[in-house]
Amino acid sequence: MYRTVVNRILLSGGSRRLPKYPDIRTVTSSSWFSTTTQPQTVLNPSGSSTSSSSSTSFQTSSAAGDVPRHERNNPRAEFEGEQARVLQASLRHVIRLGWSEEAMIAGAKEVGISPSIVGSFPRKEAALVEFFMDDCLQRLIDRIDSGEELQNLTPSQRIYKLVRIRLEMQAPYVSKWPQALSIQAHPLNVSTSFKQRAMLIDEIWHAAGDETYDLDWYVKRTVLGGIYSTTEIYMLTDSSPEFRDTWLFLDNRVKDAFDLKKTIQEAKYLAEAVGAGMGSSLQGFVGRVLQR
Amino acid sequence: MALRLLTRNLRNRISPNLCSASLLHSHATSFGFKEVREEEKSQMVGKVFSNVASNYDLMNDFMSAGLHRLWKDRLVSKLSPFPGMKHLDVAGGTGDVAFRILESINSIRRRALQDPINDDLQEETRIYVCDINQNMLNVGKNRALERGLGEDKSLVWVQGDAEALSFEDNSMDGYTIAFGIRNVTHIEKVLTEAYRVLKRGGRFLCLELSHVEIPVFKELYDLYSFSVIPRLGEVVAGDRESYQYLVESIRRFPPQEKFASMIADAGFQKVEYENLVGGVVAIHSGLKI
Repeated sequence: MYRTVVNRILLSGGSRRLPKYPDIRTVTSSSWFSTTTQPQTVLNPSGSSTSSSSSTSFQTSSAAGDVPRHERNNPRAEFEGEQARVLQASLRHVIRLGWSEEAMIAGAKEVGISPSIVGSFPRKEAALVEFFMDDCLQRLIDRIDSGEELQNLTPSQRIYKLVRIRLEMQAPYVSKWPQALSIQAHPLNVSTSFKQRAMLIDEIWHAAGDETYDLDWYVKRTVLGGIYSTTEIYMLTDSSPEFRDTWLFLDNRVKDAFDLKKTIQEAKYLAEAVGAGMGSSLQGFVGRVLQR
Repeated sequence: MALRLLTRNLRNRISPNLCSASLLHSHATSFGFKEVREEEKSQMVGKVFSNVASNYDLMNDFMSAGLHRLWKDRLVSKLSPFPGMKHLDVAGGTGDVAFRILESINSIRRRALQDPINDDLQEETRIYVCDINQNMLNVGKNRALERGLGEDKSLVWVQGDAEALSFEDNSMDGYTIAFGIRNVTHIEKVLTEAYRVLKRGGRFLCLELSHVEIPVFKELYDLYSFSVIPRLGEVVAGDRESYQYLVESIRRFPPQEKFASMIADAGFQKVEYENLVGGVVAIHSGLKI
């Protein structure tokens, strides 16, 4: 179910594949002269009537007599397309310049757009990191959808494989990844990065063939989130060739988790058995009492 | 809107069927609350600024209690300048915004000193300061000398009309206009010109005194503007009329939403605005794609 929802979002998103900003207008307003702005998202006044292809990124509560403006086809997507192009090009400069404005400026120059555009990206460097996260998730989904590589694997092997595929995507940037993590951990960005991670974990569980929606859902995601993050951190200091130690570490953690799952399962059975035993003896006792 | 018009009418007895929007398109235009012919407005505005040029920054400090410095800092931080930038600052005669942009670019260079590419780029940085009023430009040039920037090739002083810029199409990375657009005769023309000179990806940023809508604060602000500022102008700059014009022209300027839609009409995308001090000033921004 989640998968289809995600896919639907992805497909309808056009060029920007994970639209985080639907048909809403962001009005940043801050009181006094403080530099801390509180972005408020205001629902488009004409939101109900306009689809996501509204004519301008800025929608006014158009006063009477306002002439219809730009008849261009979806400039918002146009902006986001340009933003995606700049950010994609910027990724090539990250290794040299870090997750920084400089990298984005270099990227903009590369695609022939004025680097001024970088100033209009929300939360600057975070835009670059978030773009990369989205991009990786998309590539992971593509691999899941296309590849037969998961077919004959057990769930634990699938999890191992998927986490590894995903982490390998950020291997080229490993020297700059601590910087990316610190950007993601910034209070302004933490909600988005948390959401992105949740989506990633969800995607991996679904690809591993998990379709349950009980209490385990939370346990599973928490456990996998833990595995993913610790492996990610382990990777930062791993100097073994091709991150061999990291993959070994990952394999062990996944195995631990599945052992834990087994242990929990066994504990559950035991509890059930004890419960049943107690129940029957109680039943027997009550029965005996009533017989008298 | 209607309420604001009503209060305005009571205060000044202007005809009720005129609103700021219709004025912008009419042949009669506004000079403060006065109706003047289009040809006259630029002359009258010119006179105002020739009068106030020498005391301009002193008065800005007095009127805004120094806040205008923070507003301009905020404007420049929103612009996020970069080495090698071609920037046009319109109506920036005294160089306030231009100096800040230059400073910001220089600090980037210091940070990235080890990067030789940026050093070459620094040579290419150009900040054009364009103002219609030579008196204001002279003030700016003198201040540049005082700051030791007189020899800096990055600063170029140009006298010119914001409605008919002398720069080529697609030649600028950034365009700022701080406390200027309120004084022009045709806002639309200025916006069209801004769009014309900007490159793809170039940004338009406008810092302007705007409209306060917070109830009690609005009353205080009105009281301050109409009773204190003209008197302050009289005492400090010896010129009441010019400052009377200032406060009136602020009321005449389109409100934030309206102005934002005008920017969008000029072709800009991702049009946003940010109110500072509850709307006393607003920073509008747009992007050319």
